[in-house]
Amino acid sequence: MTPRNNIIRHRLWYIIVPAVITLAMLIPLRKARINPDLNAYLSDDIPAKINLDTIEKSFGKTDPVMLIFEAPDILSGKSLERIRDLSKAFGNMKEFDYVISLFDVKDIRGESGMMIVEPAVERIPGTEAEKEELRARLRNNEMAFKIVVSENFRHSLILLNPEEGLTDAEILETIREQLEMIPGDEKVYINGMPYFRYEIQKIAIRDLLILLPLALLIMIVFLYISFGEKRGVLLPLSMVSMSAVIAMGLMPMLGWDFSIVAILVPILMIAVANNYGIHIISLYQELNGRDSGHTMKSIVDQILKRLSRPIILTGLTTIIGILGLVTHIMLPAKQMGIVSAIGIAFALVFSLTFIPAVMSGMQKGKPVSIRKTDKAGFISRMLRWSGQTTTRKTRLVILVFAVFFVFAGAGISRLKVSINFENMMPRKHDLRKSARIADDHFGGTRYISLLFEGDIKDPDLLQRMYSYERELEKEPEVSDVTSLATVIRLISRAMNDPGDPMYDTIPDSRAAVAQYLEFYMFSGDPDDFEQLVDFDYTKALMNIQFTARDIRTFNRITGRISDLVTADPGFRIQAGNSLVEKQMSEAIITGQMNSLVFAFAAILILLAVIFRSFAAGLLGSLPLLFTLVCNFGLMGWMGIRLDIGTSLLSSIAIGIGVDYTIHFFWRLKLEIQQGKSAEEAVVATLSTTGRGITINAFSVIVGFAVLFLSGITILKAFAFLIIFSLLLCLLCALTLVPALCMVLKPKFLYRKNNSM
Amino acid sequence: MKIILSLLTSMVLFTQGIHSQDARQIAENASDAVEFSAMEMSATLRIIDNRGNERIRRIANASRKFNETTKTLIRFLSPADVKGTSMLIYEYEENPSDMWIYMPALRRTRRIISSEKGNSFMGSEFSNADMARPVIEDFTYRLLGTETIDGETCWKIESSCISDEVQDENGFSKKVAWIEQTDCLTLKVEYYDRDGELFKVMQLNDYRKQSNGKYFAFHMEMSNVESGRKSILAVDQFQTGSGLDENSFAVASLDQ
Repeated sequence: MTPRNNIIRHRLWYIIVPAVITLAMLIPLRKARINPDLNAYLSDDIPAKINLDTIEKSFGKTDPVMLIFEAPDILSGKSLERIRDLSKAFGNMKEFDYVISLFDVKDIRGESGMMIVEPAVERIPGTEAEKEELRARLRNNEMAFKIVVSENFRHSLILLNPEEGLTDAEILETIREQLEMIPGDEKVYINGMPYFRYEIQKIAIRDLLILLPLALLIMIVFLYISFGEKRGVLLPLSMVSMSAVIAMGLMPMLGWDFSIVAILVPILMIAVANNYGIHIISLYQELNGRDSGHTMKSIVDQILKRLSRPIILTGLTTIIGILGLVTHIMLPAKQMGIVSAIGIAFALVFSLTFIPAVMSGMQKGKPVSIRKTDKAGFISRMLRWSGQTTTRKTRLVILVFAVFFVFAGAGISRLKVSINFENMMPRKHDLRKSARIADDHFGGTRYISLLFEGDIKDPDLLQRMYSYERELEKEPEVSDVTSLATVIRLISRAMNDPGDPMYDTIPDSRAAVAQYLEFYMFSGDPDDFEQLVDFDYTKALMNIQFTARDIRTFNRITGRISDLVTADPGFRIQAGNSLVEKQMSEAIITGQMNSLVFAFAAILILLAVIFRSFAAGLLGSLPLLFTLVCNFGLMGWMGIRLDIGTSLLSSIAIGIGVDYTIHFFWRLKLEIQQGKSAEEAVVATLSTTGRGITINAFSVIVGFAVLFLSGITILKAFAFLIIFSLLLCLLCALTLVPALCMVLKPKFLYRKNNSM
Repeated sequence: MKIILSLLTSMVLFTQGIHSQDARQIAENASDAVEFSAMEMSATLRIIDNRGNERIRRIANASRKFNETTKTLIRFLSPADVKGTSMLIYEYEENPSDMWIYMPALRRTRRIISSEKGNSFMGSEFSNADMARPVIEDFTYRLLGTETIDGETCWKIESSCISDEVQDENGFSKKVAWIEQTDCLTLKVEYYDRDGELFKVMQLNDYRKQSNGKYFAFHMEMSNVESGRKSILAVDQFQTGSGLDENSFAVASLDQ
């Protein structure tokens, strides 16, 4: 018994099993969780994370929320009162480990033989003169100026470090509640990773709730317009639903959280999983319309006979292309690659089992008129033009592509990698504005900590640390460097009068350092140094704050840091969330390269195997190469940065885009074998299979287009670029590939003993 | 020693309400039991973090009252890098205290101004407020009942700050003391934060009777239940009265 007969005879099984599998995959979906923590996107054993962990073990975890207050003059009584009341309220709350504000950072100074340690703002000024006096004092306070108050005194900052174990939602709700309880006219901007995660999670959930139904609706409309009958909508749609449920259900089943890019998984399924169903319905309508003598069973038999091989082959190429993501370094990309590939595999299998099984039990529908004869249709006109152009002006077509290739490719040199998380947010989002304020007025949002080990009170070590501070502060992007050396120097200023050789220096003797610190303990708080030195003075941190909007600046600064401290015997590691972000950027580049090379090589080999010709591999890969070069070039020219979203593009584009060329080769070879000339074969292929390819491409494009409505900017960029790439793949399959086939006349197209 | 004196006198509790008379009497008795007008001692202060790391300071201390001013001199004996560092405190009946520090490595004396009394004393869990004599009127008192600690029946007395300012100054909102009934010695004090939650517990042990009939706790332990840190002050030597004259308590004498 052939598999075809088998499906028709045991059709109930072929319907029940997929349905049961799908329903079963709904169970793990109940445990699904969105994890917007970008740091979790890299595995824990990467150096940047290990180093960060080392520092957090000694100095505690820092994952602060920053509240930036904006007012015409932040030193006005009312604004200061609000900041004071809020920082006091936050300080008294169990939810926060520590609070840093104008009322918490210290002012260490000497005055007529006394050392004074008091909060940067001890009292709220009552008169104009007092206010100006405070302004002058803050300007001289290295611990406060441009750290908790901006250079122009229009912004002030409260930094809150939440206790571990709280959810981002709990943290943000607590903060919002307090802000409402202590209201004021100041505009308050929030920044920090907890806020970013909280917001992006909200947007991601909104996206899933709105985009998924919308994408499905669009697909229903598209399918109905294409096929004009219910089964033409329901059967491909059932593949979409089943594969989407399976792919999504696999995530929690494998113990993975949904990342931000995981939103792409169901959208990808909607765009791709119906392709096979579309081909089946298309052939069903063709057979049903052409010869009404067919029974439903004979139509199903014909469909399986004629479509099994091309569907399996195009399905395999898509799966292999998308599996390229498994070689990506970012965990969400790997996970997305695995579940999407499995989802598509199920769609492929179910398309060849479930759909025929259902169809074989159906009554034959009324023949639907296929617009094959519609010579005026857009697609038909486009295909006709394409056929004429590629056969008559073959060399011109190749030249135009070559010129475009070179021009677009030149943009690659301008391609930049994004290291700003806030760029994922919509343009007008609070986070973008607060990040700008932090960059422009507070010395940036990037922090790196250097860990030194040894006898921290050793004046040699402290003097070296001080020299690094001075060197680093010469870099225009570096706004602040703080370490125990800074504090010792500030104490020396409070302890000694200007002009004294000890003033503003690190003392030469260890005893003097120890006594400075002991002295400070009597007036300050031991917790004041908690972020700078550990309890037994064997580990110290140097915290560096800077701005870096792109990876080049970032690399220059980290390079400068390494140059300065690597040879220091006390220096151990540098760490910080910024370095994890940097590693993530590098992972994006490497991951992009890995998945691209893998997908490209795999497709090349697969094409060579399918058509038993290395030339077919090369020729079939050419549209992909062209598309990818143009895609990255366009990103360079348009300033679209490579990020976690756009780095997924090439694998997906390769996986989907190669199908068009396969379909084209397939039909062209058939036409040539039927005795047509190259020219005739190209024209015939474009007018028959070309139509299928075009509809297929547009159904995918329509599926992805819904991402334009996403609240996450990187997904919008992804939508734009994937659509651009698929259009290019389509254009290549309809013009460049036919033109090349005309010129090169590759042997594999003319070989008769092919297994096709 | 000044520290201990202050700590113990800070437990002198005055009360209002139904049990106010009893509570006040108990508190006064507790204060009397540890009252020294002059003393000298040496002690070891161990500051232990939540991981068990220790900082050990050995200090010598002398305290004596001249007219209305209690003068206290603390000198570091170890560790070596701070040996000789000295601290002088003048406590007045009405005005805020004055404080000076002498640093031998710099041969320099500096006055300290710090606005935060609730802050830690020498980086320990004891606070500056614990070191200073509390203002009696700053608290309201209540007898909560009796309880047994280590076989000793104790009165349990609560003292609450009367205002936010007092809370800010002391770094706690209220404290509850256990005072044993035989000699009126304080065995335990609990400190509550602004939210009314327990954050520090002090235990006093090894009371020894001195020649003047008063008692002195040779072991004091303050645990911070929030941070997991604790500080232990163990008295090595103690004597009532001080042989030092007023000149020894002068700022100019700090470097000698």
